[in-house]
Amino acid sequence: MKLNTMAGVMSFVSEIENDSSLFYKTYAEKYPELESVFLSWNKENNKFEKNIKRTYFGVITDTLESNYAFQGLDTDDYDVDMKLPVDVDASEAIKKACEIEETIGNFYLKAAQLSEGHLADIPRLFRKIAKKREERCQSLGEL
Amino acid sequence: MAVKKLQNFINGEWVDASTDTFVKIINPARGNLLCEAPMSTKADVDAAVKAAQDAYPDWRNTPPVARARYLHRLIELMEDNFNELSIVQTTEHGKTIDESRGETRRGIEMMEVASGIPSLMQGYNLEDIAHGIDEYAINQPLGVFCCIAPFNFPFMVPLWFLPFAIACGNTFVVKSSPRTPMSQVELFKLLEEVDLPPGVVNLVNGANASAEALMDHPQVKGVTFVGSTPVGRYIYKKCGETGKRVIVQAGAKNYVVIMPDAVLEEATMVSLLASFFGNAGQRCLSGANLLVVGDDAAYKRFVDRFVEGAANIRVGDGLDESVQMGPVQNAESKQRIIGVIEKGVAEGAKLTLDGRNLNLVGDVPETCFLNPSIFENVTPEMSLAREEIFGPVASVVRAKDLDEAIGIIHDNPYGNASSIFTNNGKWSRQFQHDVNAGNIGINVGIVAPMSFFPFGGRKDSFFGTLHGQGRDVVRFFTDPKIVITRWF
Repeated sequence: MKLNTMAGVMSFVSEIENDSSLFYKTYAEKYPELESVFLSWNKENNKFEKNIKRTYFGVITDTLESNYAFQGLDTDDYDVDMKLPVDVDASEAIKKACEIEETIGNFYLKAAQLSEGHLADIPRLFRKIAKKREERCQSLGEL
Repeated sequence: MAVKKLQNFINGEWVDASTDTFVKIINPARGNLLCEAPMSTKADVDAAVKAAQDAYPDWRNTPPVARARYLHRLIELMEDNFNELSIVQTTEHGKTIDESRGETRRGIEMMEVASGIPSLMQGYNLEDIAHGIDEYAINQPLGVFCCIAPFNFPFMVPLWFLPFAIACGNTFVVKSSPRTPMSQVELFKLLEEVDLPPGVVNLVNGANASAEALMDHPQVKGVTFVGSTPVGRYIYKKCGETGKRVIVQAGAKNYVVIMPDAVLEEATMVSLLASFFGNAGQRCLSGANLLVVGDDAAYKRFVDRFVEGAANIRVGDGLDESVQMGPVQNAESKQRIIGVIEKGVAEGAKLTLDGRNLNLVGDVPETCFLNPSIFENVTPEMSLAREEIFGPVASVVRAKDLDEAIGIIHDNPYGNASSIFTNNGKWSRQFQHDVNAGNIGINVGIVAPMSFFPFGGRKDSFFGTLHGQGRDVVRFFTDPKIVITRWF
């Protein structure tokens, strides 16, 4: 689905943050060795969503070009299956987490790039979250 | 199921209007009946003004800091109900949900600025204007003020005035738009929760008769109005006759100048599309005439992209988050705009993009929808370039250089806003210095002043002296009392 508007982007942000948050919660329970990292990211994802919403509702005004700032953003490009097969070990969960983080990070970077100069603090926050995602990928490599 | 009938809010209570005349409020995107609004009578207005007048003495004696606290409470309630308030705007007006959220935020920003009233309404003084004699000015409220609200920003525009008026110690009556009254009803539900003293704020739903009654009422000290120029001119004249203060923010025909060096990145295009087609062109700050300076190659490069961008705008129900432009507010508006398009064609302009050919997102009735239209070969004399359309129609005009462009802007009767897109500082400076408009944008498509600045406007776009918002509106809602003291 193409995302054209800030409202559409916000709904997609909620979806990916909630889904990825659930992923970490589910697999934190299943893989004790990943529990502390995954649970902290589960909470952090909720915080990301809240921060983005707060920023969006805080800065949106009737002059923002929020209806036109996302030409070229398509949810299909960021579609990632957030489930694991039943009988896989923790290394598969790490691999999947890395894929999720990379995909979501790319989404935020693209959204930031498209909306630069238009949506006040929102592109800056998107970049900040993308950076956190990148850091997560690095720490996953160290697990 | 019985259709909901809106009520007035007078003296702290929801009351039925004394009328049998109701107007149907229709969702322009879906065509469903939302409610019916009463066309209140002079008796209803009299009751509202009486309540406001009765509340005034106690309210003006309430300390400014205490008055501001009511606004703080209202801000909290508005934040808690942010999305619900925005959905109502989209439903009754048609604008997209992002546009409504932007409107809600603007409304809240007005409250935030007005809640600084203990600082904003301070007077000033000077010791020893003569030996042993001091003089000072105290800004005092005046009494009952009112707002005659427009349909296009039904939630925000009354908030350009109401919070400042009551924070200054005045009392207030809002006459909602007969086309989009629901947003004000929702606002007043929150005002009811804030528990202001009865009569400090009052809502009358109605049309011309209610507006006339407010303007005729001897106890109304001032009128604020946002709407068309012909009506604004009438209100200004009438308020002059009845001795009222008045702010009339009226119509517009805003030029957006594209210089040959304008950066033609996506960002510029986004800004222009939002300017011309945001709110379906139904805003006094919308771009209306695109004035392109430069040779044929520069012109073509720019206009082709603009047309392509406009053609790709997704039009549909504003509650659909993929939609970028909603319908115009009612079927009459659509027919009027179609008439303008036909006239433009008859005058010889080239209709490059015809918004009458509908391409809509989702299964919506066509009744109020138009896609964006763009005319080329428009000359400044054509009605397309001179008359306010208030719809999603852009007219492309050409000029050989900036001097000619400024001349064209000055020949236009309106002076609300003008923008220039350029990277040249000299041109920018000349533009901001010379153009006779109240709001100037430099690489900004919609020049909407923030709540802490006055909302400018000149020529046929504004009648009055002081503007809405910011310090101007605080001066409008107060009068300086001069005190000179000497002690023997």
